[in-house]
Order: sequence, then structure tokens, then C-alpha cells
Amino acid sequence: MTDMKPANPLEMVAYNLSLQIEDHQVVYVGTGLPMVAAILARKTHAPSITLVYESGAQDPLEGGMPWSVGGPFTWRKSPMILEMSYSFGQAYNGYVDIGFLGFAQIDMYGNINTHMIGTDLLKPKVRLTGSGGNNDLSSLSEKMVLVGLQSPDKFVKKVDFITSVGFLEGGDSRKKAGLLGQGPVAVVTNAGIYDFEPESKRMRVKSLHQGVAFGLAQMATGFELLKPDGDIPVTPMPSPEVLDILRNDVDPLGVFTSMPGSK
Amino acid sequence: MAAYDYNREALTNLKIEDTSLLDPLVDFTSAREAHLKKDHSRRDKRLSLKEAIGEFVRDGDVLTDTGFSYVRTPMQAYFEILRQKKKDIQMIGSPNSNQSYMIAFGAARYSHNSYSGAEMRGYDRAYSRAVIEGKTKILSEWSHGTMAQGFKAAHLGVPGLFSKQLLGSDILRYNAYVKVMQNPMRADPDPVVFVPALYPDIAIIHVQAADRFGNARMYGPPINDIALAAAARRVIVTAEEIVPPSDIRSNNKGVVIPFTCVDAVVELPYGAAPGSMPGCYYWSRQWWEKLMRWACQSQKNIEEYFEYWVFSCKDQYDFIEKLGGAKWIANSRRLTKAEEYDNEDLGFDFSYGEFKTIETETGIYY
Repeated sequence: MTDMKPANPLEMVAYNLSLQIEDHQVVYVGTGLPMVAAILARKTHAPSITLVYESGAQDPLEGGMPWSVGGPFTWRKSPMILEMSYSFGQAYNGYVDIGFLGFAQIDMYGNINTHMIGTDLLKPKVRLTGSGGNNDLSSLSEKMVLVGLQSPDKFVKKVDFITSVGFLEGGDSRKKAGLLGQGPVAVVTNAGIYDFEPESKRMRVKSLHQGVAFGLAQMATGFELLKPDGDIPVTPMPSPEVLDILRNDVDPLGVFTSMPGSK
Repeated sequence: MAAYDYNREALTNLKIEDTSLLDPLVDFTSAREAHLKKDHSRRDKRLSLKEAIGEFVRDGDVLTDTGFSYVRTPMQAYFEILRQKKKDIQMIGSPNSNQSYMIAFGAARYSHNSYSGAEMRGYDRAYSRAVIEGKTKILSEWSHGTMAQGFKAAHLGVPGLFSKQLLGSDILRYNAYVKVMQNPMRADPDPVVFVPALYPDIAIIHVQAADRFGNARMYGPPINDIALAAAARRVIVTAEEIVPPSDIRSNNKGVVIPFTCVDAVVELPYGAAPGSMPGCYYWSRQWWEKLMRWACQSQKNIEEYFEYWVFSCKDQYDFIEKLGGAKWIANSRRLTKAEEYDNEDLGFDFSYGEFKTIETETGIYY
């Protein structure tokens, strides 16, 4: 372990996502980095969490990384599998503690776009996936953690389409719109971790990764980032032990945590 | 007078002038009528795939996706729809990856959509191109959850239900079926979204086993299919195997579709290939990755791909031969059982090469 390579940006994201999870929680996950993070959390600080999926899969035995949310690794010897409508119903009814969502664009209030790049849904520049379960989880989950790569074309003043509501126009507008839960509690990127200022609900730096100055994070953002009081903390780095678990136990094939082109 | 009071802002945004296109999906009266008019007798409904698609899938139908993207999805039935050159279909893509080729070959003309893509393999370039070029017309945008609620409302036998999803989002502005209302039970302001019960014309549901009447047993995630069997005007069950009625009666765990809903039963081993079928076989991952990363890049590519895999195959057995035949079957059965932990998974190797290296000495499309 002594000559172990330092964490790459994807491993940093996976590790910091895992820290958002507390033991004994019910965690709603999709595939990709949230899945890696949830399993890492289970193998480190949160051994008693329960994973649930939009495919209706509940509490599978650990296996490898699934190729699809509907695939056997998400329902490996599950005690039961719910219908999709009932699976989201768990989030409405208060049985889901935390959910993870990805995005193509995000604004300062944590509103998310996974629909399109462009201004006209009937004639976009690029049509993206649409909501999937993104809107459902953002509408219903008690806490949401948003995850994505940070650049000025992803962190934008105004998203091209509001697929999922974070804090809408800030203040109490999320609640007024009738949505449930606390909204997004964190945004985890390759540059840092952000939260939302309690009154305005604007995105605020919580910590920046080692070597990332505030100016650099601001340059990678299309809106004005808020600063925390005092010095900006440095994001925790995974210990060699945690990295070892991540690389050899959680995602040994590097399906989600190896950098493109590195394999 | 029009029968339905659609959300006008959404009609304007979606540029829908002829609202009769939207009617079938929410037309409870005609769905009930269709269900009443079915022959309700317990009778042998077995047909070949060709006959079932020929008789029960019609031009202009609202056809719903079933299974989950590429798990227990009736892929071979969709391919038969292409071979029979059906057209003007309204395809419900939820949770889907199947619209893009249905559009590319002119089978699907309209789109009700909650997702188009292939998870970590990214968004669907062919679907994106079809939207931009106007080859598909979007009739409504949804989330997975609200679409599932629409089907579930039909399953429950109610006109619709109130949801807390979609509020505040732009999806509301591109779906003429759903409406923001005040929760009638609350005195203080409490916005809710009315989601109407949804009735597709046709659902094709692939299962592990069914009897000749249509009682169907399912294993793995049911997703929306139990609700869809009750909702759709017509239902085709395709099954890995047809079992005697006594098998269904004595092993009724997992029997989720009652024969009364079902119009046709098709024995269709490998009916979900190249998708995965729980308990039976694994995805051909290289097939999907080549579809998403190469075939969907251009109309020319997708035509070449489907010429080889669909139009020059008469049935699923031709398709399986091209995947690697018996070797593919044995390997994909081992993979799915290992992943389900139904056989030994210690040291099991799930790795596979990029689709570019498909023509390997093994002859299998992993």
C-alpha cells in the first residue's frame, strides 16, 4: 500500500459521496458513482445501510457492479422486489433517507437538467435522456446529494430545462411549490463539495479538493459561488486503507472509478 | 365538444393541434369497452409470434415499453414489429431504450417519454437525432414515477391519482395530461399533480412461463408490467416456456398476470435476447454497446446493423446463431446465474472486450 497511486478525481467523488451516507440509512441509488459510493460506505463506515433501486430491487446481497439498474446485481437474492410505482412510493412515505442524482446542467439553486441542451424541446441542440427517476427522487426524497463534473457549461446561470427541482428560485420556493423533503443537501464534484446557504438557498462552497483554489472553482462555475465563513476547508482524501477497499473490493474492474483512457 | 380538457400551455409548447392523437392513452371508456368485448373464456390462446403481432399490433397503436430498458423486454417481438413494417405507432418509452430503432425504421412516429438512453452508456444519439430532425413527434414528457402512477391508477381501477412529483418542473409544461391542483383534503395551500389513469392500446409482456390461457409467471423486477396487463386494451404474453395449467396452479408464486387480460400467448424462447432474462440468460453486452456507440451514430449504421440482426433473421433462433449459438446460450446462462448467486460466483469473470473486438476466436458476442 505504500506506493499506492493517489486517488483519481472519480475516486475522490466516490469517496466523498460515501461520506454523505450515515449508517443504518435507506439509500436510493442508481448505477454509476452513487452505487460505488454506497457499497464503499457499507464496507467502511456504514455497514448496516440498506440499498434500494428504482427497478424495485430491495436490499440485495453484495455482488459486483451492475450493468443496468434492472440487472441481477441490484436484486441479488433480494428478500423482495417491488413494482416501480411502489418503489418511488417508499420515498414519498418517508422510508428513504437519502438519494443521489446526476445532472447534465445545474444552477445555483440546485435545479437539475437531464432533458436537453438548447432552448426548444422540439428542436434541441442535443436531446438527453429525460427524467427517468430523477424528478421523482428530487420531488420526494428527504435528502438529495447531487453528483457531476464541474465546468462552466454544466454549472450554469439558468438550466435549459428544469427536469428536477432543487430549491427552484431559492428561499422557501421549493416548499411553496408543494415538494417534499429538505431538497439537495450537497453537490459533490471533481473540484469540491458544495452545500446551500440556509436562507437564500444559493450554492455555497463547503470544501475544495486539494490544489483547487476558490478562484479556480469560480472559473469552473457559470454563476457566483458563495463562500463559507472563515477559511475554506480542504476536502477529505481517502486513506490508503479506504482506497485499497475501493480499488480491490468495491470496483475491482474499475467500471466506474478508472479514468477514461487509463485502462 | 372534445372529450378531454388538456393542459393548454403544454399543447402550445408541444405544438399539438390535433388533440385526438392524445385521446387513446386516457380514453377509459374505450379501454373498458375493449376489455368487455374480449372473449373472456378460458381458452387456448397460443399463436406464433408472427400471427400475434400481425393480429394484435396495429398501425397507429399506442404501444408501451415493458420490462426495464433491456431486462425482460420483449426484444424479439419488437423486432417482429419492424419486420412486419408496422407504422405510425405512439411509443411509450418508460423505462426505455427501444424507441430509437422503432423510429429509425418508421414503426414509431410519436413519443411519450420518460427516459431515452442506456444508463451509463449515455444518452441515445439516434433518439436525439430523431427529435432534432422531426422524425418523431413528442406527445408527452414524464418521469418514470408519474408514468408508473398513471399505469397503476388504471390497474387500481380509478380515474387517476394525485402525485407530489413533477411540481415546479418544466416537465409539467410539456405534458398536456397532467394538471397542478389544490389538494381537496387540505385547507391550507397544498399543490398536487393530477395524473390520469393511462391505457395503452397494446402491451407485449415477456415472462418466464405462462399457461396456454395466458396466466403468466414472472421472476425478477416486474416494473410496470402487472399494472400494464390490466390497463392495456390488448395484451400479448410471450413466454420462455408454455407450462401446463396444473403447473401454474401448483406453483402460483410469481403468477402476476391473470389470463382474463391476455389476448395471445406466444411460446418464445430467447424472446428477450439480446436483453437479459432473469434466471435464463444474460445480456449480450457487446451487442448493446455496439448499438449505442456505433449503430446509433447514423441512420446508415443503424440500417446496416438491423439488416444483419433483424431483417435478415426470420426469428430469434437465427439471431441466437449469430450471437454464438449454443455456446452463447451456455455462457449467458452461467453469467446470469452467477450474478443472481444461483450458481458459484467465486472468481467468476464478467469482463468482456469492447464491441470493436467482437469477432474473437470464441465466436461469442459477450
